[in-house]
This record gives sequence, C-alpha cells and structure tokens, in this order.
Amino acid sequence: MFYFTKDQNRVDIGGLSIGGQPGKNPTALFGTAFYGKGFQSIDDESIKRAILLIKEQQKLSEQTGLSAIPDIYIKDACMALKIIGATLESTKGPFAIDSSDSKARVRALEAADELGALSRTIYNSINLGITEDEISALKEHTPAAAIVLAYNPRDCSVDGRADMLKSGAGLINSYEGGLLDLARDAGIKGLLVDTGATPFGNMSSEAIRALPVFKNLFGMPVGCSIHNTLESWNWMKDIRPENEQAYQCANACANGLIPLYGGDFIVYGPISEAKLVFPSVAFVDKLIAEGAKDYFNSQISGGHPYEKLK
Amino acid sequence: MCESLYPWGGRFRNQDPMMPVAVVTLSEEMDFVGGPIAIYGNMKTENLGVEKVIANIVSNPNIRFLIICGSEVRGHRSGESLIKIHENGIDSNNRVIGASSAVPFIENLPKEAIERFRHQVDMVDMIGVTDRKEIFDAAKKCLSMNPGTYGEPMHVKMVEKQNEISVGGSDLALHASLEVDAYGVVWPAAHQGC
Repeated sequence: MFYFTKDQNRVDIGGLSIGGQPGKNPTALFGTAFYGKGFQSIDDESIKRAILLIKEQQKLSEQTGLSAIPDIYIKDACMALKIIGATLESTKGPFAIDSSDSKARVRALEAADELGALSRTIYNSINLGITEDEISALKEHTPAAAIVLAYNPRDCSVDGRADMLKSGAGLINSYEGGLLDLARDAGIKGLLVDTGATPFGNMSSEAIRALPVFKNLFGMPVGCSIHNTLESWNWMKDIRPENEQAYQCANACANGLIPLYGGDFIVYGPISEAKLVFPSVAFVDKLIAEGAKDYFNSQISGGHPYEKLK
Repeated sequence: MCESLYPWGGRFRNQDPMMPVAVVTLSEEMDFVGGPIAIYGNMKTENLGVEKVIANIVSNPNIRFLIICGSEVRGHRSGESLIKIHENGIDSNNRVIGASSAVPFIENLPKEAIERFRHQVDMVDMIGVTDRKEIFDAAKKCLSMNPGTYGEPMHVKMVEKQNEISVGGSDLALHASLEVDAYGVVWPAAHQGC
C-alpha cells in the first residue's frame, strides 16, 4: 500500500531477492528449525524431523511464491557443523544461523565457512549483546547477509530503535558506534533490519511503526518477528489451550501486518507453523502487489503470489 | 489485593501473601497450591521479565525467599540474569553485572528497587530442577528460616515516557520523520528527522 520515495535496496542471496518497493518482491519467511518441543536434544532422529520440516517449508514456497528461508537454531556449538551440514543437503537456497549462545554463533560461522556456505548464510542476529569474539569471527568468516536487530531496551520507541542502529545508544560494550556500522565494518554486504518485536506494555506497536520509518530512513529490507508479541500476551496464553484456532487466527493477522506496513521479511517462529503462515501471508502479498501494480504501476517480480496464485 | 500487592502484573498465581516464598519456574508451567508459597509463576525474558519479578517482590515485604527452578529459558537465560542481578546488581549502563544473555538491561526500575530486592530476599538457585516435591521441600525449609517481614512495601512505578509528537503537512500521520499522502506515497519529512 506504500510507495517510498527513497530508493529501496534489495538483498540478493542464494537466488532470492529480499526488499525493494512494497509489492515488488515476495515476503521472505524465516521459519526456525531445530528449536522448541522435540528438539531439546539433537540426534539423528531429530535432525531427520527438522529436515522434513525444512523441505515442507520449501514446498510451500514453491506453491505460493513466497520466499522460504530456514532459520537454523544451534543450541550447542559442538552441533553446528552437523546441523548446518544436514541443512545444506536439504536446501539449495539461503539459510540463517541463529543461537542464544555467542560461542555457538561463532562456531556456526566457522562451520558455514568450512562447508563453503557463507555466500548463502544470513547471520541472525547482530544485536547489542554482540561480543568481541563474534565481531572477530564475522570479519574472518563473513556471511553474505545479517539480520541487524534494532531492539533498544532503554528506549523502545521508533526513535530509540533507530538510535540502536545508528549510534548503538551507548549500550554496546564491544563496539563504538551503531549496529549498522558494526555490520558494515565486518564486511557484511546484505543487511536486513529487524525492528525488534516487544511485548504488549513495552511499546509493542513501535515494531510495526518502525517498518515504514526504517525503510524511509535506511532504504533497507525490514521485518520483525511479531509472533513474539502474540506469544507473550497473557490473555492469549490463557485461552490457547482451549482454543488453538484463536491463536492461529491471531498469528495470521499479526504476520499480515508486516507486509501491510511495508515489511519485507517475517521471522515467524517454529517452522512447523509454515503451512498456516504461508497462505495468510500470500493473501496479504497478493493484495499489496495488486495495489502496487494498479496504482503505482510497479513491476511485480516473476513467481510472486500476485502471478502465481490465481 | 493482587493488583496492589503485585502492581506490575505478569503470569503468576497469587496465594497467601503472608507467606515468605516466591517461586519463579522459568520456562515451566508448574502448580504449587498452598504451602509456604505466596506467589509463583514463570519468567521468560532476561530484562522485562526480571523487572516484573523484582517489582512484584519488593511490593510484598513478606516475601523473603525466591526460589528459581525449572528449565532455563533458551534464547534468554533469564534465570541466570535473575541470579546475577541478585548477586551483583547492575552497572552504570543498567546492564546486569555478570549476565551472559544478549540483552540483560534493566531500564524501567529505579536502582533503589534493585538494591531493596537484593537485601529483601535470599535466593535459592534450583535452575534445572523440575521435581515439584523437591521444590516444595525447599520452600518448606525457607519457611523454617523465615526472618519475618522486611518492613514497608515498596511500590515501584514504571517510568512513563513522554512521546507526544506532532506531524505537520501529512495526509496520514505515522511518524514525525514521514510524510504520507492519502494514496500511500511516503516522503521523508522536511521538518523533522528520526
């Protein structure tokens, strides 16, 4: 529904284009694999299940035209090589590496390099907690792209989030400057900005408002994982055991907000949700692309849900 | 009663407020009906979750022990954050000293509340324990050592942020840095930047 007068850069990785003017390219959907119930410990059986889910997500991408990217969660550094190796056997496209443990993130970069896959790797994420070891690893094993997280615990407003990207808001111990400069200094070419979903009561709406604001400000692909706001909502937690459909409808609604407000990618949570998320986002994408074509005469990319889903 | 005792809310069960034990179950959903437990519930995040737990504990001076149990929260390490803030407090940048999670920043609590929390309760580290009986036994042991009320409650107010912004020249208002016409064309605002 929006058209930005500022030039919009794309991130081209592993055969996918992310970003650009709204409606131009399909939304990229990151489903997190090797995470959640059933993946507390990783063995051959759980790897097999995760790979099946990655392939199902890919099939949905082929059906709908939306871009699918597996977000590979690596809990333990020692499993990085095995998990990334298995992922590479199951997909030809880009993948993200994700972990809460900085040692695992560093090891994942090394493993992606060892496997010759850095040109397909998206680092998820560069955030204010980044360590000096991670910065060194990013310089040595530079991934093609990174998600840069704008979350600013001191100021969750759009301006506070922008400040994290531009100046670091005085909160980054390992680097003097903003997260975008940090990523560029590491040599990462493809930057995706995650506006940083927050719970209700913590300026949650600003993660959505920041989508068009950051596209206007930085001209970069933007997105977020708005499902985190939904999952932290106590009322929904209370009713979900009795009414899973209510959660799924709300999740579809929440994810649809991202492309509606100009967002280019969604980190939608567990990859097992793919079959519910892809159709609802395809609807929003098709609607936006039709609007972009009808009013702005935008050229829609081939294979977009606009063309694919009649 | 609940709102005045625990004004920051959260996902918890409120029992007898005169009891001296609070239980944080981290990523687990567990039930502890009765016994010496005043309040129990889970806690997911290393920043906002920790803030709520602290604000809700200092508002009830009868709570003198905090048991942390259940599986650590993957991706957040919120249990470790709570242990470390109790051990070390926060630095001048509001970061929990010694916490290894990504964003252990405490931005909505005054330092006095954190210091009060550190003195008001003794911490019982049972991270990783999910056996209900074992946790209940630990709570009973706390009851036997109860030093009594800490004194007056401390009611912590969340910092109110003033963000009223006027947007001039736009058909639609979304943010001060944007001008949006009624058809959805977005222009950088001439008068104000982000």
